[in-house]
Amino acid sequence: MTYPSCFHCQEPVLTGQQFVTRINDRDELMCCPGCQAVSQAIVDAGLLSYYKFRTEPGSKQNALVPEALTQFSAYDLPEVQQDFVHSEDNVESVSLSIDGITCAACAWLIEHKVKQLAGVSQVLVNSTTQRAMISWDKRKVKLSDILGQISRIGYQAAPYQVDEQELNNKLNSRKFLLRLGLAGFATMQVMMFALALYTGYFTDLDVQYRDYFRWVSMIFATPVVLYSAQPFYFSAIRTLLSGKLNMDVSVSIAIGGAYIASCFATVNGTGEVYFESVSMFTFFLLLGRYFEQKARQKASVSSSNLHKLVPLTAHLVTENGQEEIPAKKLRLNDVILVKPGEMVAADGVVIEGHTNINEAMLTGEQMPIEKQQDQQVYAGTINVDQPIKVKVTALGQDQLVAEIIRLQELASNTKPAIALLADKLSRYFSGTILTIATMTYLVWQQISPEDAFWVTLSVLVATCPCALALATPTAVTCATAIFTRLGIITRKAGVFEKLPQIKHVVFDKTGTLTCGTLSIGQTQCMADLTKTQALAIAAALETGSRHPIAAAFALFADNALVAEQVHHEVGFGVRGRIEGTDYLIGNAVFTGARVDTQDPTQKIWLARSANEQLEVLASFEIQDNIRQDSKATIEILKQQGCRISIASGDSSGHVHQLAKELGIEDVHSGLTPAGKLALVTKLQQHTRVAMFGDGINDAPVLAGADLSVAMGSGSAIAKNSADLILLGDHLSRFTQAVAVAKLTTQIIKQNLAWALGYNALILPLAVTGHVAPYIAAIGMSASSLIVVGNSLRLLRVKV
Amino acid sequence: MEIIYVLIPIAMIFVAIAVMVFFWAVKSEQFDDLDRQSVSILFDENTDKPGHLPTPAIQSTAEHDDIAAQQAIKNQQKGMPL
Repeated sequence: MTYPSCFHCQEPVLTGQQFVTRINDRDELMCCPGCQAVSQAIVDAGLLSYYKFRTEPGSKQNALVPEALTQFSAYDLPEVQQDFVHSEDNVESVSLSIDGITCAACAWLIEHKVKQLAGVSQVLVNSTTQRAMISWDKRKVKLSDILGQISRIGYQAAPYQVDEQELNNKLNSRKFLLRLGLAGFATMQVMMFALALYTGYFTDLDVQYRDYFRWVSMIFATPVVLYSAQPFYFSAIRTLLSGKLNMDVSVSIAIGGAYIASCFATVNGTGEVYFESVSMFTFFLLLGRYFEQKARQKASVSSSNLHKLVPLTAHLVTENGQEEIPAKKLRLNDVILVKPGEMVAADGVVIEGHTNINEAMLTGEQMPIEKQQDQQVYAGTINVDQPIKVKVTALGQDQLVAEIIRLQELASNTKPAIALLADKLSRYFSGTILTIATMTYLVWQQISPEDAFWVTLSVLVATCPCALALATPTAVTCATAIFTRLGIITRKAGVFEKLPQIKHVVFDKTGTLTCGTLSIGQTQCMADLTKTQALAIAAALETGSRHPIAAAFALFADNALVAEQVHHEVGFGVRGRIEGTDYLIGNAVFTGARVDTQDPTQKIWLARSANEQLEVLASFEIQDNIRQDSKATIEILKQQGCRISIASGDSSGHVHQLAKELGIEDVHSGLTPAGKLALVTKLQQHTRVAMFGDGINDAPVLAGADLSVAMGSGSAIAKNSADLILLGDHLSRFTQAVAVAKLTTQIIKQNLAWALGYNALILPLAVTGHVAPYIAAIGMSASSLIVVGNSLRLLRVKV
Repeated sequence: MEIIYVLIPIAMIFVAIAVMVFFWAVKSEQFDDLDRQSVSILFDENTDKPGHLPTPAIQSTAEHDDIAAQQAIKNQQKGMPL
């Protein structure tokens, strides 16, 4: 059965004709209230061009939008704002990272929607970095209004923590572009004159014109040598000072030597000039570096964007009531009030109240955990049911989350290194070339001293490792582009060489193999109700509850049914009255249902209460759906000879049941974050291990694994330590990624073989003094172009 | 041949101007978002001011422009080598 697709996000519509927006005089189907609200907001703002020109569908709206709108008020607190808002007179400005930008039309949409607010003076949205720079007049509009405005059209905006690396990278990237551009312009000119000089080898070119062309070439080559090539000199000096050798040492000697010798030749009107070679290989080498720099910048931008600054506030209980303060101003032994739906601001002990707390982000356990007086609650977990008062017992570095982050840092420091092929090669390459050049000079000194210098120079120029320097960066850039097309963010270098080596894949359960949200499985009716009626009653009772189960029922809501006198009983369920009848929904004890102890599934029951008598009406099976592509992915990985394991924090029998369904034998359940890390470290002693995860509890193991993959919907801390991030949470993309990575490694090897082969071929000619400047220039550019062309073949891969 | 003593310096001046324009473009952040600016011309700017409703005449030309722009996109897509 095929479903129509949602006009806004193109996901299949499973809810029938329930949600509709009128766009351009046509009723367009929407899949959920979120998409409906967003598209309505876009229509109301008169921004229909978005739907005309977008090239990608919008992102699916998971949260109900109105609820999200209330969360921004904390961003208006001055203590919170001082971290990220830049203020001048009455104009404030902030840089926001925005989730959900899929194409250029999104950027246009956000700019125009935000500009409609009075008091906003400037909005600049960059769709490449997914950020917005916004300036506003603080007397006329508040930051929370701006964030609300953006979330109304379906994007999540938040300030972010810029990491230092990114600031450096941005400056570097721009400088690289300037150097590269200058080298490009100059090389074109110098090559033009070089061509004229080459013809001079074969026909008689007047010395007068030859010298003129040489002077012009020198003028063009000078800025290239003095400005564009600077990074190579600095890098060479740095490595020499630390007593090592790298490729930049031989590059710097070649550039410097060839340039100075050519200048002398020009001034004296003798010898050879190498201006075209010098500028061209500066250009090609810079091109390789620029690609590398670009990839690194992209990675650091996306990791900064993931590091959202979420202001954590707390309701401090004081003698005169309560006040809202930023969490960082809390002190030990303060008493805070945590309302239902709020995040616990600090580790502490419950001193009043009784509630369920959702600890999924810390443990991976999906069902909320009951908390009574004197029990410990942790920062970052979410209160589900009733307001509680908590006495703060730990702050900052002493909290459980900080403990996990420390473990994560430790794991990433002790991670086994995989040396990259190109790095290994370049270490030997420079040494070899410099030795050969020296020997050439010494030998020619004996044969004909006046030629010794020129021959040695031609050896250095001819063997300049342009193609070698381009071999890896070009292939990696192309492969990264394919990964982006697949919806995979590449966060760290070396991923492409690591992927094909993976022989063991470990999965987290909740949120990775499963969707991480509960849904209703089989519904059984035991009385005079239809399934639809039972579900509608259950949905009406659960309206307003923040329990994950309640969200599963929301789909079946019937607006005609309204529950009154709703009462939540922590640890049991919900009681309420609908159309004069009392209903209960909850666990077996609460509803008086009989439980089959053999039944492995999780169930909740609906009961009717009349005259103190309970009558069970229906049972609903609660399940965490397995991702559609989990099974197929695991089968493909197995075929490729990978071993598969599950490492889950969940200790229930559900893990084993799931493993059986997916055909996984090696199952580890009830693991702590440290336990997961220990498991993977043990496996890593024998083989290369990839880890998939999504929660905070997976962060240490993700940091420690040879290769780590985080789900796009996962927690920021998990994504921070991952090598790859799967956007859209499609597991099957991983097997495609492995295939692309295999091809990439192959291409890198071909490139390196070609580059080294060319150098091996030209070296004997250069040593014997048979390489004229034009042969060096042609050979070098041809081999560089062949390498680039070979890498570009990757882009033709169909995925 | 003596003419090259004049022509080459002129060409050098042009190159210098081109390099200066390139430096200016990089420094004014024009290379920071390459996806965005290429399509910004397609969007009409009528909805720029808050509460401002386009007059019917403007609207019709705007629609016309939109259709033309869409056509342009289609043509471009057709003409694109696969």
